[in-house]
Amino acid sequence: MSQTQASLRGGPEPLVSVRGLRTLFATERGLVRAVDGVDLNIHKGRSLGIVGESGCGKTVLSRSIMGLLPSTAHREGSVRYEGHELVGKSVGSMRRFWGQEMSMVFQNPMVSLNPVMRIGEQIAEPLRIHLGMSRSDARDTALQLLEEVRIPEPKRRLRQYAHELSGGMRQRVVIAIALSCGPAILFADEPTTALDVTVQSQILDLIAERRQDRNMAVVLVTHDLGVVAGHTNEIAVMYAGKIVERAPTNELFANVKMPYTRSLLRSIPRLDDDPHTRLHAISGRPPDLIDPPSGCRFAPRCAYARERCHVEAPPLQPTENPDHVYACWYPVGSAEFFEREEELVATGVHVRGRQ
Amino acid sequence: MLSYVAQRLTLAVCLLLAVSALTFSGMNLLGDPLVNILGPIAADTKNPNSIALIEAAEAEYHLDKSLPERYVRWLGDLVRGDLGVQFSSTGEPPVSNIIKERAPRTAVLLVMAQSLAVLISIPWALLAASRARRPADRISTVTSFLLIALPNFALAVILKYLLAIKLGWFPITYTANDPFLSRIYQTFLPALTIALPAAAVYQRLLRTDLITTLQEDFILMARAKGVSKWKVLLRHALRPSFFSFITVFGINTGALIGGSLVVETIFRIPGLGTTIVEAIIRDDFPVVLAVVMIATSVFVLVNVLVDILYSFLDPRVKR
Repeated sequence: MSQTQASLRGGPEPLVSVRGLRTLFATERGLVRAVDGVDLNIHKGRSLGIVGESGCGKTVLSRSIMGLLPSTAHREGSVRYEGHELVGKSVGSMRRFWGQEMSMVFQNPMVSLNPVMRIGEQIAEPLRIHLGMSRSDARDTALQLLEEVRIPEPKRRLRQYAHELSGGMRQRVVIAIALSCGPAILFADEPTTALDVTVQSQILDLIAERRQDRNMAVVLVTHDLGVVAGHTNEIAVMYAGKIVERAPTNELFANVKMPYTRSLLRSIPRLDDDPHTRLHAISGRPPDLIDPPSGCRFAPRCAYARERCHVEAPPLQPTENPDHVYACWYPVGSAEFFEREEELVATGVHVRGRQ
Repeated sequence: MLSYVAQRLTLAVCLLLAVSALTFSGMNLLGDPLVNILGPIAADTKNPNSIALIEAAEAEYHLDKSLPERYVRWLGDLVRGDLGVQFSSTGEPPVSNIIKERAPRTAVLLVMAQSLAVLISIPWALLAASRARRPADRISTVTSFLLIALPNFALAVILKYLLAIKLGWFPITYTANDPFLSRIYQTFLPALTIALPAAAVYQRLLRTDLITTLQEDFILMARAKGVSKWKVLLRHALRPSFFSFITVFGINTGALIGGSLVVETIFRIPGLGTTIVEAIIRDDFPVVLAVVMIATSVFVLVNVLVDILYSFLDPRVKR
């Protein structure tokens, strides 16, 4: 634990510090531990990527930090935002933070805008609530925001409805709404998954640009390591409700420790692959969060797992770089890892030399 | 928009033709209006005097003609705005006079009933949806089922007993000669009797649609913007949830016209409901047909309005 604490230091006071965060959902089948003990720091103006497969708790983690959860959810632990403890705050008192201090861009812009409300009205809404703007001031600001997210013909858009815009434009509108009250932190939950590949990078570049201009923190939630590679300062890899590896982006790509992270990296298709190279896939599915496996939660799917992995859960431990932590007994680079790798290559399961 | 109106008008005309033809032939297959016109003489087919009278009456009311011929004649009169004479010994007053006298009472009753139903159901559904599956919502569900299951004559009697007799808030009966405003006041209780079960149905639909809408991402987005719970419900969730509500509102208008008959009888309102029942018993075809035509036209009109309302509620519906 002290090692974990040590790795969480790093520079000035963080904007958001998350400690031992747990989010539980009461369901008919039992208690779902969607987020199960997460420690994180989010710094002002920096960008953090949260990566993992679907169903690993990434979305719930970002919503838990923001407090934007359904009433069936229960939050434990601590989320401190600029000195305010957010866990335990009522929905009513969280509203002051939502939209103003922290805002969110959702996955699918096709459904995250109100279909029966004009775009201008939707952008004006938080301005009027939080900043107490008059109708006409809010409209002027909405126009500026649409210009800021580079929507063509912004004036006309104000009067339009969501269905009259393309997916990329809608996501720009969603970003304009999220930026409207000048939040200190922006959560972007799979902001490009529902979009055309050509539009994806435009949207990510836009978010990165706004982050720099406004010195705003960004939490980018994605299943796609390729997405976070160029757009984050730090990456946290999540598996089954826990963070299993966290490192500055360059460090992670250069020196991956956790076999799960390595599998995620290997499952990105690459341009320099030979034609017809089979895409690496992680077999199996993330575990049931009602009854997660004991020991390391990735062990049942891990080619490098040994007996210990199934029994004892590995803690997060730092590498030589104190900002790089991972939870694995036999990390990439360890003797046991290489031993197993040789066996796998020998039996033809793995192809040598591919990271 | 113009082609839409043309299309709707064609549909309305077809519907009116079909309903009138079916009602016309249905009534003529089973009924014998002569009894009402002539009294006991109509059954006395052995007496030559009676036979002469019967033949005279048949000629006067065109009952000696074939069914299609009578229908076409009736239709021709209708198009010219003539609802004909009623099938009684004198034929007076003409059908249009009866309708002019009685239709406004039923119109007031039903407009009031539907308005009350809407006014009751919307806040009710909002409350139920905001507390979905919690105790308040369960009580509301039981209440709505009770109101829907309760026959309207029972509800009428209960309301009359509680609000008129026990509490004395409303008059017990309807007096046709009273001034307009006091008749409106007298119509409140019968309107409420019709409104409550209708409100329960509307509430169920709106509640279900609201709960579905509240799962949508744009609702989460609204919350993330810092919009308060009630504003989320009113500004974001309500409008996209109105579709089943207004659809059933339109269809229910037809059922309510039928249902008004029981309520009109219990509260002694001489409206169209009581008129049509009396007319059916007397085999007074012209009156029955007149009421049926009015009810059908109102039904078609309300549903056209509902269709237009769709495009106002949702900009994605093309006008």
